[in-house]
Amino acid sequence: MKRFLKLYMIEQKLALRSGDMLLFGIAMPVGIMILINMIAGQKQAGEGFTYLESSFASLIAVGICAAAFMGIPLTIADYRDKKILKHFFTTPCSPMWILGCDVLCAGVTALLSAISVALISVVFLGYEMKGNVLIFMGSWMLTLVSMFSIGLFMASLCRTIKSVNAVTSLVYFPMLFLSGATIPYELFPSGLQKVANVLPLTQGIKLMKAVSMGAELENVWKIIVLLVGITVICTLISVKAFRWE
Amino acid sequence: MSACIEVKDLTKSFNGRVVVDGITFRVEEGEVFGLLGHNGAGKSTTIDLLLGLKKPDHGTGTVFGLDPATNRKAVFERVGVQLQSSTYQNNIRVDELCKEMSALYEKPEDYHRLLQFFSLENFEKSKVNKLSGGERQRLSVALALINNPEIVFLDELTTGLDTAARREVWRHLRELKKKGTTIFLTTHYMEEAESLCDRIFLIKDGKKITEGTVKDVIENSPYENLEDAYLWYMGEEITR
Repeated sequence: MKRFLKLYMIEQKLALRSGDMLLFGIAMPVGIMILINMIAGQKQAGEGFTYLESSFASLIAVGICAAAFMGIPLTIADYRDKKILKHFFTTPCSPMWILGCDVLCAGVTALLSAISVALISVVFLGYEMKGNVLIFMGSWMLTLVSMFSIGLFMASLCRTIKSVNAVTSLVYFPMLFLSGATIPYELFPSGLQKVANVLPLTQGIKLMKAVSMGAELENVWKIIVLLVGITVICTLISVKAFRWE
Repeated sequence: MSACIEVKDLTKSFNGRVVVDGITFRVEEGEVFGLLGHNGAGKSTTIDLLLGLKKPDHGTGTVFGLDPATNRKAVFERVGVQLQSSTYQNNIRVDELCKEMSALYEKPEDYHRLLQFFSLENFEKSKVNKLSGGERQRLSVALALINNPEIVFLDELTTGLDTAARREVWRHLRELKKKGTTIFLTTHYMEEAESLCDRIFLIKDGKKITEGTVKDVIENSPYENLEDAYLWYMGEEITR
C-alpha cells in the first residue's frame, strides 16, 4: 500500500504538472460558472429554478468529462505507446498498479474540479442546494464511475495514439458542449435536446441536476439503471479488449 | 558455474510467420551473453518469450529455473530489464523516475548511488526528456539495476548513440560485469559484442546460426574480425 501511494503521488504530480487537466478540468468550469452568473445567474432557466441553480450540477460534471474522456484514454494510450505499461510486466508489480494510479489521478482531478465549482458557487455566488447534499454526492459518484468506464473502454478499443486522439476529440467535445455541461440544456431547441439525450453524460447531468434541485424526477431510476448498465458493460469490454502494448 | 537462464526449443509465430524458430541456449551465472542478429531477426521476441511477456507456441524459457510468466514476483525481484526503445512519462524528472521504479521492489538499491555510478548525479532534478541520448541510456541501465538484480536484460541499449556515448555505456557495463552481474544483451553492433560479450549467439530469421565465444565464432569463419565473420554467417556478401 505504501509503495502504491508512492507511485500514485508521483503520477499525481505529473498530472498536475502537465497543466491540461488544471485548465480543462478546473479553470474552465470555474470560469464558465462565473460567466453564466454574470450574464444570467438569477434569471429563471425553467419552472422555479435559476440559471445558477441549473448550471451548478452541470458544471460540476465538466471535471468528470475532462478526466474521463481526455485524461484517462490519453494517458493510457501514451503509456502504452511508451512501453511504460509493458515495462511493469518486467517488475514484481502488476501493471494494474499504474492503471490504478492513473484512474485515481483522474478521479482526484474530477474531485478538485467539483470542489472548486462548489466553493465558488456557495461562497461567492450565494448558491444553496435545495436537494440532499449526500444524495447529490452519490449521483456525482455514479456519474463519475460510469463516465470513467467509458474512458477505459475508449482506451481499450483504440490501439494507437492517433486513433485515441481522434476518438477523444470526437467524444470529449460533443459531451462538453451538447450534454448541458457547459451550455445550459434548457437553452437547446427541442431537436437538439433529443440529440443531447443520447449522450451518456447528459443523463448523468440530468440525474445530478434533479437531485441538486430536490426535484421529483419520475425517470430517475431509469437513469440510474442506465448508468449502472453503462458501467458494467464498458468495464467488461475494457477488461476483455485491453492490450498492454 | 551454473546456468541462470535456460531456453529450450523456443518457437513463436505471428500470423503464420515464424519469428522465433526452435531457439535453445543457456546463460551461465556472471556471463555477458550477446544475442546478435539483424533488425527483425527475432531478438526482442526471444527476450519477450523468455521473460514471459509473450506466450511461446512451444518450448520453454526459465530464469533461475522458474517460468517468469507464472513466477513474476519471484523472478523480477532478482532480474532487471531495459526494453527496446522504451521511453518515460512526459515531464518526469530523473529523481521522480528513480523513486517510481524503487517503489516497485521490496529492497531497492539507493538510487543516488546508482546515479553516481553512471555519472548522472548532477541530473537528479533534470527532466528525463531533456537528457542527451547517452545520458538517457545510462539512466535506462541505472533503472534496470534499481532492484540490484542478479541478471540484467538490455535490449539494443546503444542503438542510436554516437561512438563516444556508446563507449561510455560500455565502460559502465564492464564495471557491472566485474561485480558479477549476469548481462544478457542484444545488439547489432559487432564492436559492442566483441568488446563486452563472453559468448555470443547469432540468429537470423528466428533460427540459430551459430554460438560460442567471440574467438570461436571468428575462428570458425574464414575471416579475422567479428564483423566480417558475422556477415559471412548471415550469408551476406562481404564488400570492401
